[in-house]
Amino acid sequence: MADSVEEIKKAKKLYLVIFGALLVGTVLTVAVATIPFLDVGGHGFDAADAVLGLIIASVKASLVMLIFMHLNHEKPLIYFFYGVGIVMAFFCMWLIGWSKSDPIQYGNSEKADGFYNPEKAATNVHGHD
Amino acid sequence: MEIPFIVNARKDTGLFNSKVGIWLFLASEVTLFGGLFSGYLFLRLYADYPWPERALPVLPGLINTFILIGSSVTVVFAWAALKMREWRKFQIYMWITLICAVLFLGLKGIEYNAKFHHQAVRLSSEGAVQDFGYLEGHVHYGKLDENGQLVEVSKEEKKENPEGVFSANKIIFKANELTFALKRPAHEAYVKEILKQAGDQHTISLVGDYRVIDEKELHAGGKNRAQLEASAAALVVADGAVLSIDDLDEMEEAFLQARAHDKEIRTEFLRASWSWIRDEKGIEDISNLVITTDLWKERMAEDNEKIKNLMLSAPGTVRYKIEPPLTLVWRPDDIPKLAKTELKLRDDTVVKGELQPSPMLLGVDAIDFRHTALRAEAEGIDPLEAIKQSWILTHKNSQGENELKKAWICHQAWLRHLTEKLDKTNEKKGLEGEDRLVPTENDKYRINWDQMVGYARLDYDPERVYQALSDEGSGEKLYRAGLFDLGGFAGADHSNKNYHFPHVEIPRENVGFTSTFTPKWNTYYAIYFTITGLHGLHVIGGAIVLGYYLFFGRKMYDSNPEWLANRVEVGGLFWHFVDLVWIFLFPILYLM
Amino acid sequence: MSADSHDHHDLPFWKKYLFSTDHKTIGIQYGLAAGAFLLFGFFLMIVMRWSIAYPHEPLPGYLSWIFTDGWKGRWLDDGKVTGETYNMFGAMHGTIMVFLGVVPLGFAAFGNYVTPLQIGAPDMAFPKLNMASFWVYLAGGIVMCMSFFMESGAAKSGWTNYSPLAGYADRQIVNQLLAGQTQWLIGLVLLITSSLLGSVNFITTIIQLRAKGLTWMRLPFFVWAMLVTGFLLLLAFPPLEAAGIMQLMDRMVGSSFFMPTGLYSAADDVALDLSGSGSPLLFQHLFWFLGHPEVYVLLLPAIACVAEIIPANTRKPLWGYKPMVWGVIVLGFLSFIVWAHHMYLTGMGPVISTFFQTTTVLISVPSVILLTSLIISLWGGSIRFTMPMIWAAAFLPMFGIGGLTGLPLAFNLADLHLHDTYYVIGHFHYVVAPGILFGLFAGIYHWYPKMTGRFMDNFLGHLHFWPSLVCMNLLFFPMLTQGMAGFHRRWYNGGEGYIEKASDGVNVFGQTVADNISLNEVMTSAAIALAIFQIPFLLNMFISYFWGKKVTSDNPWDATTLEWATPTPPGHGNFTFDVAVYRGPYEYSRPDHDKDYFPQWEEPKRDAPVVESEENPHKESPEA
Repeated sequence: MADSVEEIKKAKKLYLVIFGALLVGTVLTVAVATIPFLDVGGHGFDAADAVLGLIIASVKASLVMLIFMHLNHEKPLIYFFYGVGIVMAFFCMWLIGWSKSDPIQYGNSEKADGFYNPEKAATNVHGHD
Repeated sequence: MEIPFIVNARKDTGLFNSKVGIWLFLASEVTLFGGLFSGYLFLRLYADYPWPERALPVLPGLINTFILIGSSVTVVFAWAALKMREWRKFQIYMWITLICAVLFLGLKGIEYNAKFHHQAVRLSSEGAVQDFGYLEGHVHYGKLDENGQLVEVSKEEKKENPEGVFSANKIIFKANELTFALKRPAHEAYVKEILKQAGDQHTISLVGDYRVIDEKELHAGGKNRAQLEASAAALVVADGAVLSIDDLDEMEEAFLQARAHDKEIRTEFLRASWSWIRDEKGIEDISNLVITTDLWKERMAEDNEKIKNLMLSAPGTVRYKIEPPLTLVWRPDDIPKLAKTELKLRDDTVVKGELQPSPMLLGVDAIDFRHTALRAEAEGIDPLEAIKQSWILTHKNSQGENELKKAWICHQAWLRHLTEKLDKTNEKKGLEGEDRLVPTENDKYRINWDQMVGYARLDYDPERVYQALSDEGSGEKLYRAGLFDLGGFAGADHSNKNYHFPHVEIPRENVGFTSTFTPKWNTYYAIYFTITGLHGLHVIGGAIVLGYYLFFGRKMYDSNPEWLANRVEVGGLFWHFVDLVWIFLFPILYLM
Repeated sequence: MSADSHDHHDLPFWKKYLFSTDHKTIGIQYGLAAGAFLLFGFFLMIVMRWSIAYPHEPLPGYLSWIFTDGWKGRWLDDGKVTGETYNMFGAMHGTIMVFLGVVPLGFAAFGNYVTPLQIGAPDMAFPKLNMASFWVYLAGGIVMCMSFFMESGAAKSGWTNYSPLAGYADRQIVNQLLAGQTQWLIGLVLLITSSLLGSVNFITTIIQLRAKGLTWMRLPFFVWAMLVTGFLLLLAFPPLEAAGIMQLMDRMVGSSFFMPTGLYSAADDVALDLSGSGSPLLFQHLFWFLGHPEVYVLLLPAIACVAEIIPANTRKPLWGYKPMVWGVIVLGFLSFIVWAHHMYLTGMGPVISTFFQTTTVLISVPSVILLTSLIISLWGGSIRFTMPMIWAAAFLPMFGIGGLTGLPLAFNLADLHLHDTYYVIGHFHYVVAPGILFGLFAGIYHWYPKMTGRFMDNFLGHLHFWPSLVCMNLLFFPMLTQGMAGFHRRWYNGGEGYIEKASDGVNVFGQTVADNISLNEVMTSAAIALAIFQIPFLLNMFISYFWGKKVTSDNPWDATTLEWATPTPPGHGNFTFDVAVYRGPYEYSRPDHDKDYFPQWEEPKRDAPVVESEENPHKESPEA
């Protein structure tokens, strides 16, 4: 943590830079979603857009965490607290998301266009892909 | 006594208490939003309807992102100012932060408000494929004419004479009889509403006396049941009494007391017969079942005879008749069950009479056939054929016209143009097979509000639509709401005189499922409101804490500025976290 | 830090006892409130057990006197318990026992009272927050229980509150804020808020306020268990809070988070006016994401108490302190990824079920480490059978039965048969009632002298213990048998309805319901007897407070941990001297020491020979 006056003065400049970077990131997020020229993947919203959007958001979030929340030089305990929080949230999302896409029970093919197809799944209960 | 390490850091951890506390709290916040995002992910991946992609106006969200990022910077500057012991600067930065919070919430409020006034309808009666078309728009106003029929009222007319005007999404029912269930209290608001609508012209009066045998007279003996029932003490509310909440309460009270009394007597008899079985028969090796079915029959028959004479036997319902019949206007949400001659309110009150035509009057700003297409494809039907059979395209208004159908035809021209444009790109880039650019489901099956406006401007002429799109120089550029068009700032603007939205009258039997754009409409809006609402609560909470430091921090600043700086740092950490959540919320909810 | 007790005694009554910020007062408040809720939950259970054993018989006078006539009119069918009432009592029994009874008693009451004392702290890190968590907890509990008196009755959809049942129940209530099902959710959100505040406070306290020299590996095991429990609450509760808020939305504004497409109510003959496309499975996931760690939140405080009591009464160090510490940490971590073993029957699919089966079996390893270490700790000790030790000794086999009967449920295949039967009920009641509650009883008998300055009475203690032990087993062991015979856990008439329909149904174990139904009466009698034998305990608490044998020193059990270094009872600020810790927590019967215990706070004698201690091989001094 920046504690001396000198360090804080230096840090303030960094904060402004990060502020600029966050604004640019935000504009970029909107641009890739709304301007056809910048659209990745196919026409319209698709997985590539989702990944790109989340990457930009993650970069922005990291900047906020590292600089504004001073995680770039923090005590190990804090990393531990925040780390277990994120790990548990990840387990929560990952396992819950996974639980309905069991490769044996539901197969992978039903999830074309992202919609779960109960009829197809039902015929697949005992089958293997 | 003093708790150590409030201001100064503990040596081995290098932290002061509240910093440990806030980071632990933030870790739990991570799992809170983790749970909510799990919900989002799960609901979206396994939704059985087309998930509304990029359905929200982007601009308010974008501005809000800027605001929150800005406030994140000012809050860290406020902390830095405190560290350098610059009170004025701290105040200024904190003020900006708070103003940002207010702006954020205000903008959120505008967004919410637009959704609360935006109606969506799924046109379904039978659940067939073609019934899954959606209409979106604003409900128009209506009122009852002297025959009790719905007529439309324009906005101007409403302003002049607002009396009796309601937004025309109501059940209209000509009622002549009400039956209240006494088992549970009638919902007071309903009774008041009925009385209000009845006014002076209609009388609502009790049919027959409500009589409950008086407990004291019964146990005193000396009178037979007919006498008991006829006695003055038995009268609770007399025949012909006009409906009032007090009367209902009184009858309910009498009913509940009588029920408790009767049940107590039955319990006593039951208990006695059980001890009789225990004493007389001995039940060591007989199960409950055998006793109830065999041993008991005679005893129970005897008991039942005795019990009958000891009951107060209060009737569980009361009937009121309405004269002359009253045309009730009722919110559909309060009616779980509706039939031609009878409707049931949520408090179990039954209304008898005759259902009147209760159409929904809607200014349509969007048509959505994606769900129809999804269902049709699942059943192996051609989506376009199914769409053709939908009510949206087949109905006719009183002039025998159907503007929605015209818009749909124009949309095909729009789609033709888009396909050609994408094909050109395909050729240019040499994209083939799965890589080819094709129109999305959204393009194909959804007419957005800006397209509705554009098609209407071009007089629903598909050729002109196609021309306007392909020929830049024709002067008839098709209207498209850009990112910065304030007419669509928070959705379609129905008060804008330059926009025309088709007016339709949807018969009640065609209204399948309807809601404003609130959590009820679908799981997307449910999760949208839940997450942004919780996030908004965090903004409010953070603003209160930061405001406390700003307005009440001076004393602490004078006595122990480092402590205040610590506190602001901790409050700031929370504020950054709120910003962090929004950084994910914005793309996920607005852009995906 | 010197205990400045003057400022405390000047406080007015309401500040000293009601809105106190002192961790000891708050701990006692938690204990009393939780005890009251436990008794209430116990009462609900006896009414249920009556209905199971005697479904056609009215409730006897000693159970029904508490209800008003109006209430009986609404909820009892001629004095008999109806299915609906049974469901209501069942749902509330579970909720009260778990959320309002055992967790507040174990974690909040013991944790609050003992933890700061054991780490040599003057109070919790955030005393006002501590007070807030108690009052929020109480508000949550009251909101939940108030619904018994409302028109809708209390929640009736099981303590797990699964949608769509829980989303639809009480729909007929126009003002949803007055529906029991909604109030349950509001209460839950309040309880979670309280737990979060509490766990932040506990973890901060343990990390920041440890006394000089109290390094991590010198922490008593109790403190470790509280630390892990704090993390479990901190990280597992929020997803349930999310689920609670979502279900609240479902109820209040008609969203469909957990309501699937095409719901139809046969009872009301209407299709529900909902958008659908929600997922009941999602609720189960979010619920059990908390639900399973919650089991360890219940368990760890009890193990923690036992781990303190056994060394003090065997006069030898806790066997395997380090493995126990690592075991409890691993246990805490693993408990987050085993939750879906509660959901094998939901059709998640074999791959994911196998994942959860594996993690579930894995988690038995640290559990067994804990239990085995405690058992081995008895070996070769000169055991003093004091009252707390008797309870702690009974905890070991009882919790053992509870734990071992869980193994078949961890396996998919066996669980398919046993799911939702009385076997499951028997299993987790063995864990919670004769297991956890015995551990907590042990804790009460152990720390009562510190709290009041008087011992609890031995005769009443024995009168409490032995019948409780017998009744508990008579009550819960038959459940295992019945479960294997196929008794469903939600039969309000104890299986009679089932026999009527399928009297000769034989299951895979060759057992029939008819063969085992007579056990119902045994269990019900045991439950009633169990209730009666709690009276000596209540009397004991009360009588000993005024007339119990006075303690003669501040350390009546000759124990080694810091709480025994305080005055009895400890004043505001706890310690009267500057606390410093010189050694590990369980230094009993050290051959180089003249007494058979060597407290953590006792300064080493200057001329004593340097002792090789595991933690600090070269010196016995607090860190600078």
